[in-house]
Amino acid sequence: MRVVLAEDLYLLRDGLTRLLRAHDIDVVAAVGSGTELLDELLAQRPDVAVIDVRLPPTFTDEGLRVALEARQQLPGLPVLVLSQYVEQLYARELLSDQGGGVGYLLKDRVFSDEAFVEALRTVAGGGTVLDPEVIAKLLRRRAAEEPITTLSPREREVLELMAQGRSNAAIAQRMFISEKAVSKHSTSIFGKLGLEPSDDDNRRVLAVLAYLDS
Amino acid sequence: MYWTVITIAWIAAWCAALIWFVVLVIRRLRSAQQKSAPWWERIGQLVIDGVALPVLLLNAGLTGAWVLLLAVGIALTLWTFAPRWIGSLVIPATLLGVAFNGFLLLRSYARGELWVTAYGLNVPAYGARFTHAVLPQACAFVAAGLWLGWRRLDRQSWLYRRVLLVPGRDGDPSRTRWGLVLLPLVGVLVELLGRTSWLGFTWWSAGTTLGVTVIALVLVIRTPAVAADLAIAGVILLGLYGVALAAWWPTHVPLPSPYTTDVRFVAVVVTSRGSAFLAGAEGLALVGLGLWLIPRAIDDRTRLLLRSAADLDLTARVARLTRSRADAVDTASAELRRLERDLHDGAQARLVALGMSLRAAERMIPNRPEAAAALVAEARETSLKVLDELRSLVRGICPPVLADRGLADAVRALALDTPLRIDVQVELDGRPPLPVETACYFAVAEVLANAVKHASARSVAIRVEHQDGALRISVVDDGIGGADPRHGSGLAGLERRLGTFDGVLAVSSPTGGPTIVAIEVPCALSSQKISTYSGMA
Repeated sequence: MRVVLAEDLYLLRDGLTRLLRAHDIDVVAAVGSGTELLDELLAQRPDVAVIDVRLPPTFTDEGLRVALEARQQLPGLPVLVLSQYVEQLYARELLSDQGGGVGYLLKDRVFSDEAFVEALRTVAGGGTVLDPEVIAKLLRRRAAEEPITTLSPREREVLELMAQGRSNAAIAQRMFISEKAVSKHSTSIFGKLGLEPSDDDNRRVLAVLAYLDS
Repeated sequence: MYWTVITIAWIAAWCAALIWFVVLVIRRLRSAQQKSAPWWERIGQLVIDGVALPVLLLNAGLTGAWVLLLAVGIALTLWTFAPRWIGSLVIPATLLGVAFNGFLLLRSYARGELWVTAYGLNVPAYGARFTHAVLPQACAFVAAGLWLGWRRLDRQSWLYRRVLLVPGRDGDPSRTRWGLVLLPLVGVLVELLGRTSWLGFTWWSAGTTLGVTVIALVLVIRTPAVAADLAIAGVILLGLYGVALAAWWPTHVPLPSPYTTDVRFVAVVVTSRGSAFLAGAEGLALVGLGLWLIPRAIDDRTRLLLRSAADLDLTARVARLTRSRADAVDTASAELRRLERDLHDGAQARLVALGMSLRAAERMIPNRPEAAAALVAEARETSLKVLDELRSLVRGICPPVLADRGLADAVRALALDTPLRIDVQVELDGRPPLPVETACYFAVAEVLANAVKHASARSVAIRVEHQDGALRISVVDDGIGGADPRHGSGLAGLERRLGTFDGVLAVSSPTGGPTIVAIEVPCALSSQKISTYSGMA
């Protein structure tokens, strides 16, 4: 897997590069600014880009802008955006082209390298990965509304994990239940929310997100 | 032999007294209290302290060298060892002196004496000598006593706090000072208008004098502002009287006296053109004095009447700016304190714990690698918590999305994070200055939090626009209403915070709702376009 990495702080850039290489991921370019990033993305056409939101020269949301720009020029280019803080607003913007291959995570998540690499692979494979904090915020907004209130606590937990972009297998492992139980829960959730059931992981995530964000 | 002893004792006593004075003077010059003042001021103060009080005491009716010596001794001793006492004693001593002299005069007149003793002078009871000598002396005595007393008054003393400061509460204590300075002027008026006793003593005139004096004193102490105004008016009227006297003398003589054909004006007996001219000059001087005093001592309310509308606006604005600046400074320092505390109790403490855990793990690695791994995992958890705390701290200072995107998107992000149905409409062609954006952002955040917490609102409409040179934000919720900025809610704090930018916050929240909060902050937009994302918002 070929990765382009953009992070302005040298220590973090170096650490991330080493972390990815340790998992046999090929970091083809590691850059420190938004302009370099766009050039590298267009030149290298990586399998996935790992991008810090705040980058020079503006030190605002340069990374996010470049990610959106690159996805316009290279439709479907998978990007995993990292940030010190997560905003639902930014998540919406990333998801808005419905193309999949999008990830938005807090930087802290790289502390658990396995989970991080797994998320990176999901994004590279065209999946959607959202930070649990974004999902928690989404759910909090709708928590008091029908039909979310009709979900059992177990089902809500499954919904949350689904929305984060996890596969049935990952959910099962995390909740210490069987994959079969997970798919039973998900069928029930889709029924209660009135969504079209789907076997495709990514389409499922997008459906759930669209529902939560409506 | 006997006389020799007496003489030596006498000389010794004098020398002792002299040395005692010198010691006191040196001590006083060196006293720490005075060291901050320049040397010439210290010496000047010493002269005032050392000379003025004895003169006052002398004036109070006591005469003789021994009185002078005693007075100087008492004054210096008190001033050296109990400066706070003496400060508070001068004014009562002055007033006592007035009463004592009044008593001496009254007694002389009652006895029908032809010579009277008052204010340290022995003069004929009637006629120009009395007028020329005693009256100025008396006025100088009262003025000097009160001025000195005010200068040396201990600001912590009962006299100051309970009596003199009371009328000053509505404004500044300097009004009290003016009232005190003007007291002698009131005294002059009393002498001239209320009393004819220096032409001939009567109980009636003495009663009038006493009554007017009491009224003047009460006025000065209770409402110095009014007393000051009255005294100025009196001074001017008196001056005009003097001018009129000079102008019409001798054909029309104002206020003829039943006792004498003499016409008097302040310190002048008008008997000729020359003295009439003198009285006119005195009158002019008094008018000038009155006019000079008007802007310095006139009542604030009167001052307001005399000022133009633009001036009043400016005054109100200065008052508002002073208040809001003080608020801004307070808020800023409170914020810094809160940040310091949060960092100290949160992130710093956790980092210390983190360092200790890692050190412990380091020691365990050779012998107990499993326990070490557990500790390291724990350390990682701690680091996550530190990050989380720092994140919320940063959000509290300046939310990153605000810095990145500006007010419009920050309000949209805020709306997304609030568990209510929120409709956001923004019409901005540029970005307001960041401080204004920040204040407005936190204002909207607070209003939304109130809508969730107190108003039980279900939906909210937020409108942000820039019109007529002002940023206008309205937040309307469909909750139960009843919000009152005057009662504890965060609204009062918001009002103060926005006040720093000349902004205003208006709340309409009838019981039963809806609550409408309107914010208006005058500001210019920078030309930089807001690159707001036009997708799903």
